[in-house]
Amino acid sequence: MSRGRTSVLSGAAFVGNRSLWLASVVGGMTMTLVHIVRAMIPPRFDWREFMRNMYKVGVKSYLVIIVVACFTGAIMVVQSATYMSKIHANHMIGWGAGLTIFSELGPLMIGLIFSGRVGANNTAELGTMVVTEQVHALRSLAIDPVEYLVVPRFLSMVIMMTVLTVLGDLFAMIGGAITAQVMLGCDWREFLASLLDAQLLGEFVVGLCKACLFGFTIAVVSCYYGLSVRGGARGVGRAVNNAVVASAIGIFAVDYLATLLCVEFGWL
Amino acid sequence: MSDKPQTPNLLEEETSTHHTVQDGRLISFIRDMGRATTDGVGGVVRFFNLCSHTMSSILRGRIMWRRVASEMYEVGNRSLIFIVVTLSFLSMVMIYQTATQMSRIYPDFSMLGAGYIEMMVKLFGPTLTALMIATRVGTGIAAEIGSMVVTEQVDALKMSNTDPVEYLVVPRFIACIIMVPMLAIVGTMVGIFAGMITADVGFDVNPIGFWDLQLVGENDIIVGLCKAFSCGVAIPMISAQAGLEAKGGSEGVGWATTRAIVSCTLAIVVIDLVWGIIGVKLL
Repeated sequence: MSRGRTSVLSGAAFVGNRSLWLASVVGGMTMTLVHIVRAMIPPRFDWREFMRNMYKVGVKSYLVIIVVACFTGAIMVVQSATYMSKIHANHMIGWGAGLTIFSELGPLMIGLIFSGRVGANNTAELGTMVVTEQVHALRSLAIDPVEYLVVPRFLSMVIMMTVLTVLGDLFAMIGGAITAQVMLGCDWREFLASLLDAQLLGEFVVGLCKACLFGFTIAVVSCYYGLSVRGGARGVGRAVNNAVVASAIGIFAVDYLATLLCVEFGWL
Repeated sequence: MSDKPQTPNLLEEETSTHHTVQDGRLISFIRDMGRATTDGVGGVVRFFNLCSHTMSSILRGRIMWRRVASEMYEVGNRSLIFIVVTLSFLSMVMIYQTATQMSRIYPDFSMLGAGYIEMMVKLFGPTLTALMIATRVGTGIAAEIGSMVVTEQVDALKMSNTDPVEYLVVPRFIACIIMVPMLAIVGTMVGIFAGMITADVGFDVNPIGFWDLQLVGENDIIVGLCKAFSCGVAIPMISAQAGLEAKGGSEGVGWATTRAIVSCTLAIVVIDLVWGIIGVKLL
């Protein structure tokens, strides 16, 4: 009897612990967001730090984005090739690849690689600053760490995620066109013509809005985990791991909500 | 990818401008190219050294089964909820978009299930599961091994005559090889069922009509499983290599983790494309 009761109690304790943990994480992220917004409302952030972050986030990661985007376009064409050649619809390949990549797969893949390259990096950097007490040093110099460190990163991640998605979409189409030419013998001009005929501006814009939201999610999550690091090198590693996992869940959830909203309003 | 800590990077830029003034553009360009080449080749050589070391340990039967079991629990069971959540979200999005597009052109959902299940088995199931495992497990491996390296626990292992590769890398490698294909199967099934429910609720597609396997051949299943298996080989090796190369304190661990996930993502995308081409051309 007592054994049954302890197992019930430990189950309840488990549920309670998990909900407390979830509440603290969600609350912490919300508070980070509130701090960021409060520091931005009259815009008080360091312009030079902002430009440095724009360079670091955008210019230093565009090569990875281009490579991943090219491969994504190639994969989409390769996978739809069997189906398209079965129904003799080679002129539809550009349309099919463009549709999937602009509205869904482009922002998603670029968001995931962005969260790995930039989000993880950001968490590691902020975490190192916390562990080596550089954030405390800023505070003791009467500099608000959110204004000086977090806001420029947040802004540059949101802006650069959107811009890099435009670049990624372009290179995904180039990768798809090359693959269609090499593997299927479908002329690249035909590929581009079918892409342009399809008039995918709506999908493209929806994809960019999604990318902007992904950048927002990644920025908030990575800054929260970076600022809440505890305990040396091990803590930094664990924080990066948690940040990447939470960003992935956030990206998928935001993606679902955005798609639902778009379908509801008939934008897609 | 210039995955170096920031402070040394700044110093390096300063010295290189200094050299530009001293010996001209061309020489410094050649020096930079040479350094990049030796770094790249050295990284590849060290990676294959690690792979051959792991393989020889496995072939000589030096496997710590107790650690393999605990790593399998860590890789498999503890990633399950994450995989289920992410793949069900993704499949709901995919169904919503495909069905909306289809209803705009020609509102006939009879082929929705067949096409969706084929894409899920061949493409999205294995690839996205592998990406999610790289996110959760790959960064975990890099962070753990990296923090052991910078706190000199790996040196301590060497001093007590334990091979760090046998103790740290081999169990994780075997665990990933076994668990990644299994999780890919689970992820694919979750994706199909979540898509089925979404199609039923959102677009009134009969679940029995949705479960249509006419487009799924043996080749698709083989290609999907091969993709998952190759990713299961690549993820632990790349992450372990990134972790073992961590240098410096907490900053080094952060960099190792970032490098692990970026390289894993690239490797997964390349594996995906290679198996896709093999599937189209040969099978």
